[in-house]
Amino acid sequence: MIKIEDLNVRIGQRNILTNINIEIEDGKWTCLVGPNGAGKTTLLKSLLGSQAYSGSIADSGVEVFKNHDRNVAFVPQHPQIPIGMSVSEYVMLGRSKRDGWGNESNKSRNLVADILQVTGLFGMQSQFVSQLSGGEMQRALIARALVQEPTLILLDEPTSALDLHHQIAVLNNIELLKESGVTIISTMHDITLAAMYAEKIVVMHQGKVLLNGTSDFVIHSPELKTAFENRINVFTLDSGRPVIVAKKDLSN
Amino acid sequence: MKILKSKGHESVLAPIWNWKITAFAAALLFFVGILAISFGPVSLGFTEIIKTLFGLPGGLTGQDRTLLIDLRLPRALLAALVGAALATSGAVYQTVFRNPLADPYLLGAAAGAGLGATIALTSAGANLYSLLPIFAFFGAILAVLVSFFISGKFFAEPNSLLLSGIAVGSFATAVQTYLQQRNSSSLRPVYSWILGELTVANWQVVTWSSIYILIALIILITVSKQLDGLMLTDEEAYSLGINPNKLRVIAVVAATLATATAVSASGLIGFVGIVVPHLVRGITHRVTNRGLLTIALVGASFLVLADLGARTLLSPAELPIGVITAFVGAPFFLVVLRKKRLVNQ
Repeated sequence: MIKIEDLNVRIGQRNILTNINIEIEDGKWTCLVGPNGAGKTTLLKSLLGSQAYSGSIADSGVEVFKNHDRNVAFVPQHPQIPIGMSVSEYVMLGRSKRDGWGNESNKSRNLVADILQVTGLFGMQSQFVSQLSGGEMQRALIARALVQEPTLILLDEPTSALDLHHQIAVLNNIELLKESGVTIISTMHDITLAAMYAEKIVVMHQGKVLLNGTSDFVIHSPELKTAFENRINVFTLDSGRPVIVAKKDLSN
Repeated sequence: MKILKSKGHESVLAPIWNWKITAFAAALLFFVGILAISFGPVSLGFTEIIKTLFGLPGGLTGQDRTLLIDLRLPRALLAALVGAALATSGAVYQTVFRNPLADPYLLGAAAGAGLGATIALTSAGANLYSLLPIFAFFGAILAVLVSFFISGKFFAEPNSLLLSGIAVGSFATAVQTYLQQRNSSSLRPVYSWILGELTVANWQVVTWSSIYILIALIILITVSKQLDGLMLTDEEAYSLGINPNKLRVIAVVAATLATATAVSASGLIGFVGIVVPHLVRGITHRVTNRGLLTIALVGASFLVLADLGARTLLSPAELPIGVITAFVGAPFFLVVLRKKRLVNQ
């Protein structure tokens, strides 16, 4: 269990995150939702240790980013694409921490080959990452995260660059991870998709947590609309699955 | 993990780096080195050279021995050191600034060294010529420090450092030009220094420059494997277990030390820092910094060979070595640019 207590992040004069107190359950998928600027990405960066913060993000009393035994994988929304690097090299980077930089064990090479197959990138391993399409790049990122064999995986808008078909494919890939006991924290714009996959949803608005609970609880909370400034409607399909739709007409 | 079962595809994945390439580069340097010390106005035999170097009986004697030990050998060694320093620093800067066209002089090191050298050459009264390398060295270090200082955020934003390096470089060049205009007699020596020269090579220069360059190269090659993490965003680097800010500081400080030493020992030799890394990456189809040692070895070979050209092409006159490297480097640079455009299309 990762406990986030009194987390505050200030950049210049702005409070990006204010008094965040949440608990992330092990082996569950927690999804951070909220409009742009809510502080979702900053929260992920704090978990990684690339963003200075006050308060604590700890697992059994140890700050997550200081625990070097813990493998935290990160799938960025806007990756830096290395010019001239092949797909297999790129995915192999995920093994660096386990094998030590500059070494690959045979186990790693087999694992990378397997994961390339799982993510449908096998056959493209010698292509340059700079030549991949948006969907392929997203899968390469997921593949790199998978070969890290992480205990915690952070995904920043893993589906934002994808069409519906690839969104589902990527989310299914992530769900596979959960089955192997990995804790997942992702940000997502699309609450409907979030509700479909994540067990827990944290709704953020202007650097604060508005709602935090099981997907079912959050989706049916009246406060959900507040987070999105009353611009959404929640419908329930016959199957019982909730659907959140943006409102065009803002009058009511 | 359930999905992570191994099925054995070992042969399908090409190795990230093949150490045979490094061994080949080392052999190339040895071969080119022997070639370079053998040729000149007086040619020396290969076997005699090797016997002399390894202290075996039947080596060179008399004038030939002096020529080899006191002139050609230190010169080839200096060329190798400078070539390795410039090529390695170039490759490191390209990774750190995520810019394939970055070169070792990017942060104002060249202009700073140029200004330092000009001050040494134009100072009225005192003869500071013998102190020129020291002036150039501190000029280069100072210019880079000022670039760091101005950019403010240090390494948080590589591009702001790059821009402040350009500004500091322009300023130093302006001051240098002003000094030159005031002392027109210095124009020729400053000009020939800027084009780069290895004629000053002697054991003293080789000794002090090898200390700094080897320290810098050892540091860079030690961190080289982790440098691949700097090709990603900082968050990705953190997730892979490296601290990108710390790594950038180590890499840039070491690369600057190597560059400043190279510049102060041999003047401004252009294009090595761009040509050699791209040549190695292009031939091996690998961008990984695991190739850094190979880049150093090829850089050394390239400059030893360029110096051989500088000494022999217009023999007995000497061409400035910077002319040779630019003559090969500039067209190559255009090819890289063109290829890059094709890839991006």
